[in-house]
Amino acid sequence: MRIDKRRLYHLDWYLIFNGLALFGIGVMNLVSATSSFYSGSLNFIIKQLIAFALGLILIIVITHYDYRLIAHHSKWFYLGGLFFVVLVLIIGLVAGGARRWISILGISFQPSEFMKPIMVMVLANMLYEKKRENIPLSLRDIIKPMVWTFVPFILIVKQPDLGTGVIIVLTSLAILWFVGLKKSTYAVLISFGLLTPFIAWNYLMKPYQKMRVLSFINIDADPAGFGYHAKQALIAVGSGKFLGKGFMSGTQHKLQFIPEHHTDFIFTVFGEEWGFIGSVVLFALFISFIHRCLKVALDAHDELGSIIAFGVASIIYLQFTINVLMAIHLAPVVGIPLPLISYGGSSLLSTLISIGLLLNISTRRYMF
Amino acid sequence: MKEETPTSKFKWCNLILIITMTVLLIRLWDLQIMRGSEMRKLSEQNRIRVKKVIAPRGIIYDKSGRVLADTRPSFNVYITPEDIKDFSQTVDGLAKLLYVDRDDIIDKLKAASRMPPSFPVKIKSDIPMDEVARIESHRVYIPGASIQIEPKRNYPFGKMLAHALGYVSEINDEELKAKEYKSYSPGDYVGKYGLEKNYENYLRGADGEKRVEVDARGREVRTLDIIEPTPGNSLHLNIDMDLQAIVEKAMENKKGGCVALDPKTGGVLVLASRPAFDPNKFASGITKEDWKTIALDKTHPLQNRVTQGRYPPGSTFKIVLALKALESGIINERTTFICRGGFPFGNRVFKCWKKGGHGSVAVHRGIVESCDVFFYNVGLKLGIDRIHEMAASIGLGKLTGIDLPGEKQGLVPSPGWKKKTYGQPWYEGETVSVAIGQGAVWLTPIQLAQLASFVANDGVTFKPQLVNRIVSPEGKVIKVFEHVTNSNIKLKKETLKLVRDGMRGVVNEPGGTAYGSRLQTVAMSGKTGTAQSASLEKGGQDHAWFIAYAPSEEPSIAITALVEHGGHGSSAAAPIAKAITENLFRVRTEIKEAKTHENR
Repeated sequence: MRIDKRRLYHLDWYLIFNGLALFGIGVMNLVSATSSFYSGSLNFIIKQLIAFALGLILIIVITHYDYRLIAHHSKWFYLGGLFFVVLVLIIGLVAGGARRWISILGISFQPSEFMKPIMVMVLANMLYEKKRENIPLSLRDIIKPMVWTFVPFILIVKQPDLGTGVIIVLTSLAILWFVGLKKSTYAVLISFGLLTPFIAWNYLMKPYQKMRVLSFINIDADPAGFGYHAKQALIAVGSGKFLGKGFMSGTQHKLQFIPEHHTDFIFTVFGEEWGFIGSVVLFALFISFIHRCLKVALDAHDELGSIIAFGVASIIYLQFTINVLMAIHLAPVVGIPLPLISYGGSSLLSTLISIGLLLNISTRRYMF
Repeated sequence: MKEETPTSKFKWCNLILIITMTVLLIRLWDLQIMRGSEMRKLSEQNRIRVKKVIAPRGIIYDKSGRVLADTRPSFNVYITPEDIKDFSQTVDGLAKLLYVDRDDIIDKLKAASRMPPSFPVKIKSDIPMDEVARIESHRVYIPGASIQIEPKRNYPFGKMLAHALGYVSEINDEELKAKEYKSYSPGDYVGKYGLEKNYENYLRGADGEKRVEVDARGREVRTLDIIEPTPGNSLHLNIDMDLQAIVEKAMENKKGGCVALDPKTGGVLVLASRPAFDPNKFASGITKEDWKTIALDKTHPLQNRVTQGRYPPGSTFKIVLALKALESGIINERTTFICRGGFPFGNRVFKCWKKGGHGSVAVHRGIVESCDVFFYNVGLKLGIDRIHEMAASIGLGKLTGIDLPGEKQGLVPSPGWKKKTYGQPWYEGETVSVAIGQGAVWLTPIQLAQLASFVANDGVTFKPQLVNRIVSPEGKVIKVFEHVTNSNIKLKKETLKLVRDGMRGVVNEPGGTAYGSRLQTVAMSGKTGTAQSASLEKGGQDHAWFIAYAPSEEPSIAITALVEHGGHGSSAAAPIAKAITENLFRVRTEIKEAKTHENR
């Protein structure tokens, strides 16, 4: 593999350092978050670093091939992804009441995570010509993208992994919005959007999911269950005060008051130990990173790159926002990781693949 | 219509980012700055919990320092309601793991419902190691449940001395409401019987406190600080466990009681009541079945026969008559009555136990051979009032004041009593019955031990005292029990000599009713008694009595033995006193010999 020196020069170093800063904070935070586990931190950190190393290799590979080539073949990635998602439903490992992982050669991973960047590519590949022609999408135009979105969505929600499913649907909708929609299409989508809560509540949601929503509305409705965790998460973040309790000094997570504090509730650890100041810095890094993703979209050589970059920005934005809102009780509890910060190889790899796509697009922005 | 340009989309995006950042920062400001201190306090409360450190109860020793009751570590299961996540999961899970009834757990939680939810409620005490292991391995599924290692009362001698030691068990609802137990909380142990109850305030230590950091499941992570508990004070008893063991062995499979006193001090050397119970069973939270067996047992193992059992004293009561008759000059050494085996009075004949009769009997032979007819005559001559007066001055029919709860008074009848109780006048015939310790005479073994002491100690008796002294955990003597005089009657030397000679003859003269229990090493004095029992249980066999003191010349022990439905005092009860005396004085002789050897 020959590395083109001009491309290296055009690498988006802003994006890289911003991402590295977030990942660095993530690893440091993880040391504290996992220190109370019986097996100790080391095991977790090593796994996270291995995933990161794997991700770096994937970034190099992805950056090497032109994103147009990759997007052209995205259908196969999509089918491959679906294959694994279906496989999970058949031979997946059950953990915490959900079937989300499959183990191949001793390595277990979560296929649904990888569907996020794949969906972005598939939809971009499907829609970039419309975007180029600047024709707003009619209702008929969005049928195909919606079908392609809802097939993995339904399979993933069945696992159940509502968080990933929600991210996929919202990202798809964001992409459709980004490509442009006719007023009538907006109208239909919005009316669907208004209907969804009723349909979901009455026909789709499982009792525990309803409980989460109820305890979101009234935190004291279920003080022993989800409400309890939500309250403990709030106490954790709040007790950080202005400067935080200090690295490794958080008590709420160490004493196991918060479940999944190394994955979905990772922000509670950070908020407790680094306080308001630390949280502001972390948020700024995220906003800056997302803003940079959007800049890649804006500067992209073509509409395909622009849509892909926008899609990636959406994924990261949605995960960041929903995850933090959930931790500070502004959104119901749903299993969504904080990109680059939460523990989890599949999530980290998926994010790094997305970043690889961004770098791919940004290095090729001056291409003719 | 305004065309949307690609750049306008990015403007929207930037706006969204700004809004997001603003919302997050406002929320964080509210949480961490405005409500930060409140949240910090909540997080501290979350993890810091004040836990009680149970003080070990005072130790009970016998006179030579052997441990009769101490504490050992035990594993107890608690539920802290605050830490329960799913009520039925924890309760059902625990019920299954511990093989207890779900309702029992709920009852216990209800009983403690007036305590704050962070108060741990004891569910099961002293669980075996395999249950500890089961709970530890399942504790993730039973949040709120925890195991505490706490001191537990332990009685190394099991059933021995059980009635004197008593037992402790968990405080119950009613007691908790009582004023005297104000400082107790549910799950605390309290002395419920015997010395454990009587000396509760001394034995109970002061519980300590520790502040611990706990995790979300209520597990202790580390101790922040601790106020050490103060152990309870120790009791040093007058009990001699060697003698106690001999008595317990002699009384195995029998029903009855035996008590030995030091006549010079009132110190209780032996106190045995049979059938007995195992106090250890109460200490580890008695099961419903065990409680039922003990409480419904027709032989009443929970009754302390020595202080609570009331029996007609039979011929042992003759000593009272002899004392009074001699003292008041109604009879003297030479006064004789003829015994032909029966004593006609009114329209019936009161029989002597010896069918052929004793012939001409004076007071010495009357005591030695326990001639009923002699004492019928004496009784009639004395009259019930004088009998009652003497009995009362010895302390019969009165509480002895032994340091055990629930002592019974017994009864020595008088015309006044009969008038009050039945509204009937006293009949002379009843005096005849009373003369040989029958009729309405009901005495406890401890009272008869006082009678033996009375004779042994020249008319002076002391309050029977189990505890010799109370010692603090640091070894400081807190309280020494001085001898309390119960009765102090000046008797003529002649009276005492005659009665004591008679009692010596009971054991040591051929024809004495306890001649079979004589000893080579030491002279023992005594009096047998065979009392008709009211119940027809066990074929209506009589109760066997024996009261004794030894050595005859310079008494240092006074004994009463009672065997319910044992038959004759001479065959059933006297051997028990013999065993005690034999053992006590064999040992003493050995020590003396050893000392003389050394001196040489």
